[in-house]
Amino acid sequence: MHFIMKKLINDPANLTAELLEGYTLAYPNKVKLVNEKIVVRANEKAEDKVAVISMGGSGHEPAVSGFVGDGMLDASVVGDIFAAPGAPKVFEALQMFKRDAGILLVVLNHAGDVMSANMAMQLAERAGIKVKMLLTHEDISAGIDTPVEDKRGLAGCVPLYKVAGAAADEGKSLDEVYEIAERFNQQMATLAVAVTNCTHPQTGQAISNLADDEMEIGMGQHGEAGGGISKILTADETAERMVLPLIEATGASSGDTVQLLINGVGGSTLMEMNIVYRKAHQILTEKGITLVPGIVDELLTVQEMGGFQMILCKLDPDHVTYLEAPANAPYWTTQ
Amino acid sequence: MTTSLTLDHLKAMFAAGLTAVTEAKEELSSLDAATGDGDHGTAICQAMTAICNTADKGTDLKQSLNDMGFAAMMESCGSTSTLIGALLLGMSDGVDGNELSPAAVATMFNSGLANLRQQTKADIGDKTMMDALIPAITAIDTHQGSDLSTMFNTAAKAAADGRDATKDMVAKFGRARNLGDRVIGHTDAGATSIALIFQAFANSLD
Repeated sequence: MHFIMKKLINDPANLTAELLEGYTLAYPNKVKLVNEKIVVRANEKAEDKVAVISMGGSGHEPAVSGFVGDGMLDASVVGDIFAAPGAPKVFEALQMFKRDAGILLVVLNHAGDVMSANMAMQLAERAGIKVKMLLTHEDISAGIDTPVEDKRGLAGCVPLYKVAGAAADEGKSLDEVYEIAERFNQQMATLAVAVTNCTHPQTGQAISNLADDEMEIGMGQHGEAGGGISKILTADETAERMVLPLIEATGASSGDTVQLLINGVGGSTLMEMNIVYRKAHQILTEKGITLVPGIVDELLTVQEMGGFQMILCKLDPDHVTYLEAPANAPYWTTQ
Repeated sequence: MTTSLTLDHLKAMFAAGLTAVTEAKEELSSLDAATGDGDHGTAICQAMTAICNTADKGTDLKQSLNDMGFAAMMESCGSTSTLIGALLLGMSDGVDGNELSPAAVATMFNSGLANLRQQTKADIGDKTMMDALIPAITAIDTHQGSDLSTMFNTAAKAAADGRDATKDMVAKFGRARNLGDRVIGHTDAGATSIALIFQAFANSLD
């Protein structure tokens, strides 16, 4: 089959370089690009505070670099489209942020990212860099009790950046930042649904293979097969099918406080996502669960794929405080 | 007869290894093309070049192995340089002093393998470089009472046998995994380069 890709791009080989250039030109007061693939804050934070760094392939904008800024990440290490940055690049970023206070490296559980990160951690240890790695793995599509190594990290990394970044900016130690963020990590869960396919911007090939009248719950980030294909459901039916397992996975119950996020993956409208948020909010409220202000937006996309990720985070009181703390990243601002 | 291994030996061994993989570069890439993405010849030569350039500057065995491992890992993001780098970093952890007895050489390689196993779950039978490397290191381990020449000749033979065995295997790692039974009949490129390198190690000590 021949696919004609309808994307406004130039040379596919230069996608990542050009998007990073455009991004940092647009937000020069907040971010800057160093050493080709490392995005850092325009205003560096004090050396006596823990640096929070994350990494991942491009093609998922605004993730990850969109969340570099005051109160959130100190740096993001960027890979090519949908590809992990190599270990040398990650190590380079760790060297750049070497400090007595230490570094928290947040990694999403995807094979390439984990391999690069492990390698960079090994080099960092030998170079005397103080760093702790936190692996996110909140995708419950493979089942709530699935071993951690088989659960992928999805868009739940974004609120986690907010919590970790706020704790670090407040001056918490590396152990404290890690503990706060890891507790958040353990208490969040994500499910994804896909309704339309997308094309890989470098190859022009379709990723995933959904029929016009189908949807799939549990698609990971790139349309990885996860079972759960059905005829397309209404927004309310979809919301219910997703929020109930998320409530079970997080253990949220009456009296608990949660944040609910709907992350658009590129091709669904805010209209659709707000309708989904409404129903999930209703279900949570009926169960006596309190919601802090939520997010309905595109945080971590997969090109023009239709669908969304629903993220439920059960919050401890300190998490609520850190979510409310000021942040000034290009794609996340809290006053 | 070589009774203890020094940094100069190690430099000569790796230089011989680089020569061997360089001569076989095209063959290694075409082996890889049958089951993977066809760049193994380039990748292993690149990693070994970085290792040798770093080794040349070294004066202390432990530090040199550490620097050689670092250099390999920093070379590219491919799995070849990563895995060879992990082996060398682990070898660095396992040595003390600048003259290694056969037993100390065995300890060094075992330590390298232990670190490598933290980076990959691949084992014997998975159609990877581990099919040659693990038998080679096992041979080194079981010949601690021998002289170094015997030790490395036995290791080279074990690596070659391990390489040959990959021909009949299906792959469990990397891109080759997706090809299923179609990879049967193809010798693994990574195992081939490891066999070449261990043969070169043996030759340089003879």
